[in-house]
Amino acid sequence: MFIKEKELNIIADLAKIYINEKEKVSYLLDLNKMESLTEILEKIDVSGLEPTTHLTDLRNVWREDIVKPCSRKIVNQMLNSAPAKEKNFYKIHKVINVK
Amino acid sequence: MINIKNLNKKICLGEIKSVDIIKKCLNCIKENDIKIKAFLRLNEKDSFIKASQIDKSNMKNKQLSGIPIAIKDNIMIKDHNMTAASKYLEHYISPYDATVIKKLKMAGAIFIGETNMDEFAMGGSTETSAYQKTTNPWNIEYIPGGSSGGSAAAVGSGMVPLALGSDTGGSVRQPASFCGVVGYKPSYGLISRYGVCALASSFDQIGVFSKTVMNVALLTSIIAGKDYNDPVCEPKGWIDYTYNLNNPYILKNLKIGIPKQLLDYKIDNDIVKVFNDAIKKLKLEGAEVFEIDIPSCKYINALYKIIMCAEVSANIATFDGIRYGYRSLNCKNLNDEYAKSRAESLGYEVKKRILFGTYVLKSQNYYKYYHKAQKVRTLLIKQIKDVYKKCDFIFSPSTLQMPVKFGEILSDECDIFLIMANLAGLPGITIPYSFSNFGMPIGMHFMGPRFSDAKLFKIAYAFEKISNFNINIFPKYLSPVLHKKDKI
Repeated sequence: MFIKEKELNIIADLAKIYINEKEKVSYLLDLNKMESLTEILEKIDVSGLEPTTHLTDLRNVWREDIVKPCSRKIVNQMLNSAPAKEKNFYKIHKVINVK
Repeated sequence: MINIKNLNKKICLGEIKSVDIIKKCLNCIKENDIKIKAFLRLNEKDSFIKASQIDKSNMKNKQLSGIPIAIKDNIMIKDHNMTAASKYLEHYISPYDATVIKKLKMAGAIFIGETNMDEFAMGGSTETSAYQKTTNPWNIEYIPGGSSGGSAAAVGSGMVPLALGSDTGGSVRQPASFCGVVGYKPSYGLISRYGVCALASSFDQIGVFSKTVMNVALLTSIIAGKDYNDPVCEPKGWIDYTYNLNNPYILKNLKIGIPKQLLDYKIDNDIVKVFNDAIKKLKLEGAEVFEIDIPSCKYINALYKIIMCAEVSANIATFDGIRYGYRSLNCKNLNDEYAKSRAESLGYEVKKRILFGTYVLKSQNYYKYYHKAQKVRTLLIKQIKDVYKKCDFIFSPSTLQMPVKFGEILSDECDIFLIMANLAGLPGITIPYSFSNFGMPIGMHFMGPRFSDAKLFKIAYAFEKISNFNINIFPKYLSPVLHKKDKI
């Protein structure tokens, strides 16, 4: 097995997903299956090739950040989708804990 | 099966009432969907209101006035619930219309219901839906395919004449082939994805289902075109894809390439037989059919898994349980909240793809997996471009395997030739061609160069005419509504 339990814990931590002990067994099995599928790419000579990041001729377009007015109705609609809110804000756990 | 253009004409002339069509459609769904389970939700009241408005008003003159359409549940319709078949979005209400929905509303279409799918379109059988299992209308013990299995089954069973899906790695064309309908994925950048729940952004495209190529071409003409809200949408002028669709000489001297790599895979016997018959018929029509070589075919699966999962992990990261969606209770801190919300609301397949995507993007692995895969993708695209110097279109069976029973697993190679179109951004269409010995439909797939969509439709139309598939035949236990026998 290429991906071991320690590695799986690191990935889950990076992805911010809890996985329980029971799930770990099947994830290890499945992820290693996927990993072994990719071995075929190892020996291909790709020198001189550019990576395809997207299929169109996309280019970055820079513009100023301009605050545009937004109706109360839309603001409320967006806030109403949130699991928790207070006044005009999304409510989340405290990020900075000042003692 | 009804021709949408003709049906629309009759509605416009007042010969048929849209309300009657909706009534028939909903009755048909109520009768049949108990077995098929294609729909997650029906918009009964709204559909009747819209239909009666159309019958009374001058909205009659639009291209889809009063025509019912089913929408895959990952496309946003303003003020409608959209779940993407996930518990995470169980109570999510779309705050705006997707661009395709806006265009369909302007054309007078009626959104009769939202269809089931694999959770966040991740899967090939519609079994990963958090809500229900959709069955194959041709045999309810079998899967309908996926991820747009609900839309494919809804059209395949005759419950609706049109449906939208999304295609990231064959998710429109594979279920279309399994359910005996036409399924089309446009060139990358032809149809706007604004308002569609993203899976893997460098592959995703909205696709179309119907029983006939004509109907698919009509619907595509309505929803395609430049949209400033989707930066990859190309500025192509408006095209009527139904124009000159019937060209009896299109197959004559057409250069059709068959990937010689097909021989490297295990293909179901029934499919081989039907495929050979299709080649024979194409030759009889005057097409020049010959072998082509795409050596990088064998890398498709690995490429797709790496790039798709990497993009999944980036896209799904936006699901944080803060601005919308499911949030776990009793969390200790913000990190705990992310991790628990995802753990409790996402299914196994989705989490698996996020984890693998995170693995290939991890700083130690980035060059070994993701960067390498992107370079091999360039190699594949280059080889396909070279092939198109010799042939006009690539032809293959849509799937290499017949649909399986629930719980059984499709092989990784089943839809390899469909995924090729996504990796290279090419248009592809599957047309039902025949049946297997067990009475399940078999589809054939044409794939063209990027933005050859108009010609692709013409070829598909001609191929549909020589197919052995009678679209007026439905599974015996079903009573389809929009059908010639109904005289509408």
